[in-house]
Amino acid sequence: MAAVKETVEAVAALEKYEHGFTSDIETEYAPRGLNADIIRFISEKKGEPEWMLEWRLAAYERWLAMEEPTWAAVKYEPVDYQDLFYYAAPKQKEGPKSLDEVDPELLAVYAKLGIPLGEQAVLAGVEGAPRYAVDAVFDSVSVVTTFKAELAKVGVIFMPISEALREYPDLVRQYLGSVVPVSDNYFAALNSAVFSDGSFVYIPPGVKCPMELSTYFRINASQTGQFERTLIIADKGSYVSYLEGCTAPMRDENQLHAAVVEIVALDDAEVKYSTVQNWYPGDAEGKGGIYNFVTKRADCRGDRSKVSWTQVETGSAVTWKYPSCILKGEESSGEFYSIAITNGHQQADTGTKMIHLGKNSKSRIIAKAVSAGKSDSTYRGLVSVHPKATGVRNFTQCDSLLIGKECGSHTIPYIEARNGSAQLEHEATTTRLSEDQLFYAQQRGLSEEEAVALLVNGFVRDVMQKLPMEFAVEAQKLVAISLEGSVG
Amino acid sequence: MSAAPQIDLTNAETFPSRRTEAWKYSDMKRWLREAPEPSGTALVGAPGPFYDLGGEAIVFANGRPVGVTDFIASGVQTLRLRFISDAVGTGHTAAARIVARPGARLLLLETHEGKGSAYVAHNKVEIDVARDAEVTRIVLIEEPEDAISVTNAEVRLEAGGRYRQTVVTTGAKLQRIETQLSHGAEGADARLDGLYLLKGSRHTDLTTVVDHRAADGTTSQLTKGVVHDTARGVFQGKIIVERGADGTDARMAHNALIASERGEIDAKPELIIYADDVQCAHGNTVGTLDESALFYIQQRGIPADEARALLVQAFLFEVIDRIEDEAAKEVVRAWLTARL
Repeated sequence: MAAVKETVEAVAALEKYEHGFTSDIETEYAPRGLNADIIRFISEKKGEPEWMLEWRLAAYERWLAMEEPTWAAVKYEPVDYQDLFYYAAPKQKEGPKSLDEVDPELLAVYAKLGIPLGEQAVLAGVEGAPRYAVDAVFDSVSVVTTFKAELAKVGVIFMPISEALREYPDLVRQYLGSVVPVSDNYFAALNSAVFSDGSFVYIPPGVKCPMELSTYFRINASQTGQFERTLIIADKGSYVSYLEGCTAPMRDENQLHAAVVEIVALDDAEVKYSTVQNWYPGDAEGKGGIYNFVTKRADCRGDRSKVSWTQVETGSAVTWKYPSCILKGEESSGEFYSIAITNGHQQADTGTKMIHLGKNSKSRIIAKAVSAGKSDSTYRGLVSVHPKATGVRNFTQCDSLLIGKECGSHTIPYIEARNGSAQLEHEATTTRLSEDQLFYAQQRGLSEEEAVALLVNGFVRDVMQKLPMEFAVEAQKLVAISLEGSVG
Repeated sequence: MSAAPQIDLTNAETFPSRRTEAWKYSDMKRWLREAPEPSGTALVGAPGPFYDLGGEAIVFANGRPVGVTDFIASGVQTLRLRFISDAVGTGHTAAARIVARPGARLLLLETHEGKGSAYVAHNKVEIDVARDAEVTRIVLIEEPEDAISVTNAEVRLEAGGRYRQTVVTTGAKLQRIETQLSHGAEGADARLDGLYLLKGSRHTDLTTVVDHRAADGTTSQLTKGVVHDTARGVFQGKIIVERGADGTDARMAHNALIASERGEIDAKPELIIYADDVQCAHGNTVGTLDESALFYIQQRGIPADEARALLVQAFLFEVIDRIEDEAAKEVVRAWLTARL
């Protein structure tokens, strides 16, 4: 009967965006707007070295000279960059952070979101349950990072990037901006100027990180933008699996989230990066929701290095992101597995870039898009093979599923091959949910909504299987929730 | 739906550069900074590759019509449309308009016959396919390696209209063959095929935009290409299915071979879909000649070069085999074989 109970719960959960609550936490803001003084304020708050402030100010200068891009297949109200708070932090005691010192109200927020911040709580959980370390970022600051001591025993550095800037400035300086340069694009430049927090990960040579690392991003304060910065360095022969989750309260306004994620993989290193993105998508009329304009890129510098991106995108009013791999190392490989689900008035323009520079580099792209309601979803991707990269292989598959008459689904894959030995394959399909299968499932007693959820879960199964177990269960439920109200 | 700005050869400001997304891989401005001087007159000369198939003819010599520019087909007809260029460093524009009346069947045999050097040619063709009419357009293009040419065809299909197109080209310095086709009414059926065989540093850009505005339309596209040396082949195929165009079945494939170390293929297939009761798919592959097949043929005593040509021929002939008119198919086959 467990299955029945689970089904009942799943259906009950379909009611609404369950992470949409706001928390009344005393918050400290920077003055509204953006100028050089605000950047100095952020830098000072973080106690950053002088070079970091210079770096930020230079990025700000570059940003001022750039224009907001408009090529993506998304429409949104222009962002007033002077009407945002660029720094919002929950007020808390000074000094070193341990779990006991964290504001209990903050802990309550994460408990409500189902994020285990107490190490004991995880240890005392179900026997054999996998553990994972969490860095919890609340608006502009990281509030707590768990399992730091245990990870340090094997030499793994996992901490907020603001802390890493103080403790390992040379390491951060060496890699920051080396994958996504400051002037890479408009939003990356903005992020470089004002980024507040995010995670820093360093895995030493030959170390297989003993547990999953994860960062949980929460936007709480209103009229703020979140600009997190994540930097992951996998040294030679190391391995890490990293998870990222995001939620935000329901608000009428649109909030900006412009993150930058940089991954560096050296020889024989492997990084698996998984995202479950569940920012508030806006209400049924398309009011409110997060603008998710993100730059994510991995640099497979080392020979035989490997980076795998897996993303489940169900939230945000507007999503604009292309997690990419620069395959510089010989025999390096990149993977991209994506599920993008849009409903209501959501718009998503997402995909990947695989830039093949190294000999015998390989890439694989599996992208599944589900559009329902009045939403629009675009897969946009690039596979490029440079003249000196011999023996390159790529396989790309993009499938789109349409539910209803008012949604749109688009596929725009670019291929640029400049080497005669490349073998590139791309296939894409667009169809609607099969009436026969829906009828069959309903015949067996499922409601129309449950039948849709079941069939969609089947459609995205290839990608779902690539998710770490902890996320797969959550992601599966998310698929059902995101499609609420899409039929009938 | 236009993927191309209106190019006017007398105004350099209208020449697209790669900053225009639809011309990303064909930077006209790079090769043509200023408007060319207008071309002088040219002689028609030889009768053209499709002469033996007879029928009516529309002929342009350096953009100047030799006789009529418009043609209205009824019943079963054949029309040869010849764009002849024989100029050195100058430019010319030609425009033809073709209508197939309800129920008509037109075999449109188009040739671009280029002589001289470094000319700039801009050709426009408008084709209206009325209710239940059928137009088969076969295009053979041969131009000097330093020529620049842009051909834009606008095709409109009425209910039940059938349109078959096969473009075969050996490229130029910069060459764009663009077809914009709209399914304006229910149940129209389109096939848009392309074939390119490029040597030296030649370039061609086969771009199609198919707009399904009405229900139950079908589109089938197959483009194949081979590039040698440092040549560059571009394929851009956009299929739009508009709201309400239910029952659309659209399929597009592009397969290319790079037969040299430094050849280049750029491909951008696009599906833009706003209706849910549709079947749409595209496939896109880039590869090289199959070494084991090559080895096998050589084992049978055939020299390497010939073996390569055989494989290329087999690869490309799939496009020609889709031509339904037997006589035209033979001409295209022979034309291509002579250029392998």
